[in-house]
Amino acid sequence: MSEADRDPKAPLFKDAQETVEAIHHGDIDAIVVMRGLDGPQVVLLHGAEEPYRVLVEQMSDGALTAGPDGVILYVNDRLCELTGYPSERLVGRYFASLFDGEPPKLAPEVTSEASLLRNGVDAMPVSVWSRPISIGETETTLVRLTDLSIRRRAEQIAAAERFARSVLEQATEAVVVLSPDGRITHASWRAEQLAERPPVGCTFSEAFPLVAQNSEGAGTLARFSVDSLDTMLATKPFHGVEVKLRGERHAQSAYLLNAGPLIDDRMANVGSIVTLIDLTERKRVEERQTMMVAELNHRVKNILAIVQAVATQTVRSSSSLENFGNAFTGRLKALAIAHDLLTKTRWIGVELSELLAAVLAPYRSPDETRLSVSGPPLLLPARAVMPMSMALHEMATNAVKYGALSTRRGVLSIYWRVSEGVNPTVELVWQESGGPKVKANASEGFGTTLIAQVIGHDLNGKTGIDFNPAGVRVTLAFPVEAPAGARAVESGAASA
Amino acid sequence: MTENHGYNLRLYVAGQTPKSIAAIANLKKICEQHLPGRYEIEIIDLMKDPALAMRHQIVAIPTLIRHLPEPLKRIIGDLSDTEKVLVGLDIRPT
Repeated sequence: MSEADRDPKAPLFKDAQETVEAIHHGDIDAIVVMRGLDGPQVVLLHGAEEPYRVLVEQMSDGALTAGPDGVILYVNDRLCELTGYPSERLVGRYFASLFDGEPPKLAPEVTSEASLLRNGVDAMPVSVWSRPISIGETETTLVRLTDLSIRRRAEQIAAAERFARSVLEQATEAVVVLSPDGRITHASWRAEQLAERPPVGCTFSEAFPLVAQNSEGAGTLARFSVDSLDTMLATKPFHGVEVKLRGERHAQSAYLLNAGPLIDDRMANVGSIVTLIDLTERKRVEERQTMMVAELNHRVKNILAIVQAVATQTVRSSSSLENFGNAFTGRLKALAIAHDLLTKTRWIGVELSELLAAVLAPYRSPDETRLSVSGPPLLLPARAVMPMSMALHEMATNAVKYGALSTRRGVLSIYWRVSEGVNPTVELVWQESGGPKVKANASEGFGTTLIAQVIGHDLNGKTGIDFNPAGVRVTLAFPVEAPAGARAVESGAASA
Repeated sequence: MTENHGYNLRLYVAGQTPKSIAAIANLKKICEQHLPGRYEIEIIDLMKDPALAMRHQIVAIPTLIRHLPEPLKRIIGDLSDTEKVLVGLDIRPT
């Protein structure tokens, strides 16, 4: 190390010599040189540990180098930013003086937290990491300070973003988040499915062009042009407007539109959450229910009409009130039997054998020899069950009063078959035998008329009643209703 | 702020070169020990602004300049020889 007084009159070469000696002795490691027009520049001499220097200076965290007694030897630009002081005000100070309260204890490679003073006044949470490092012959500590407030805020933002995304991912309905200008920033999977195009970045109207479902909704939506609708959705609450999405694939679907604006802690609008809830299934159920109620109404009306008709006719043909009562009650019973069976099968239809069993149940003898019933499985459609029940009841009543069921030796045989072909027909035969001789005027009376009427009108069939003295024979023939969807081919146009 | 009998010292360094680091550390140590409460140190990093070197014609780094008390005194090097620094700055050892 050399020393010299600064004497203005001393020749310059003395300085130069001094410098050369200093370099020679290894006392300095950098010099200032004039590089022509570029001005003075610092040139580092060999051994100045350039890479380390560059690293510390380039760090995005605040960094400083402290001497063995805690004196700050060097600070990088970022640390100046963090503390709010230029490097001249920091170098030479003690490390502990940078902090509010307890300064961090520096243990190698250990991270701790401390409160850094900003502008000497504000406290900023920082993370502190250090390690010893030798610079030349000086043992120093490199300390890295990371601004936790920013990192914390960034972490909070990242966590909120992750939470929002996972909520959207779990959503089973279409949910989108709108920015205040009505553009979609996030969309759930269902929303992406429904949208006309990838929704993020579009306005709501671009992704989900709407048609109002009902007049109420039409009124609400019609108030807004497309542009203002997007802004309205982003800033105002919007509840329960039924809408349809434009487009072929949405023709059968309906949605409930809801929008709820988002407000931050400064009461400013930051966008909104808009949902489209699928009403299609709900509407389908509603429609089905409405249809069912209508169908029930229809049936009830039908039954009332039938009962009324039966009552009227029975009155006409009954010679006394008591007779009317019996006859009417009997016929109502037949209707009730049919109704019960239909309800059990939910009005789909009833097997003919089951209907026969129910109608003839009161007339079955313990030894079961009087009755024989046979025929292939045949499902009577709902509208055929009541008429058939009434017809069978009439025939049974007649058989009980005058025919085979009136004596113990009488036999009743019922059988049916279904003809093959394009228009299959059921042919049912009701054969009585072994009963009292059939009277000549047996054909009179409402019962046979009712049978013929019912079979003819309700079942579109034909009735043949033969009052053979040995026993009544009734033949019913009516078309089998084809199962739904398998209609007989119309033989229309002349064949070529 | 300096007192009448205080020292005003300016140390010219070049970022984190080993000698710069050493000079800062040593200077602080010396001042604390021999001039407690009577000194003011200014560290000037010529890496940041080389033009500042012109004012006092700094060529070698590190260089320490004593501005106060006058007259100006200059010491080149990392200040590791405490005795020579005290002599050079005209400080009586305590």
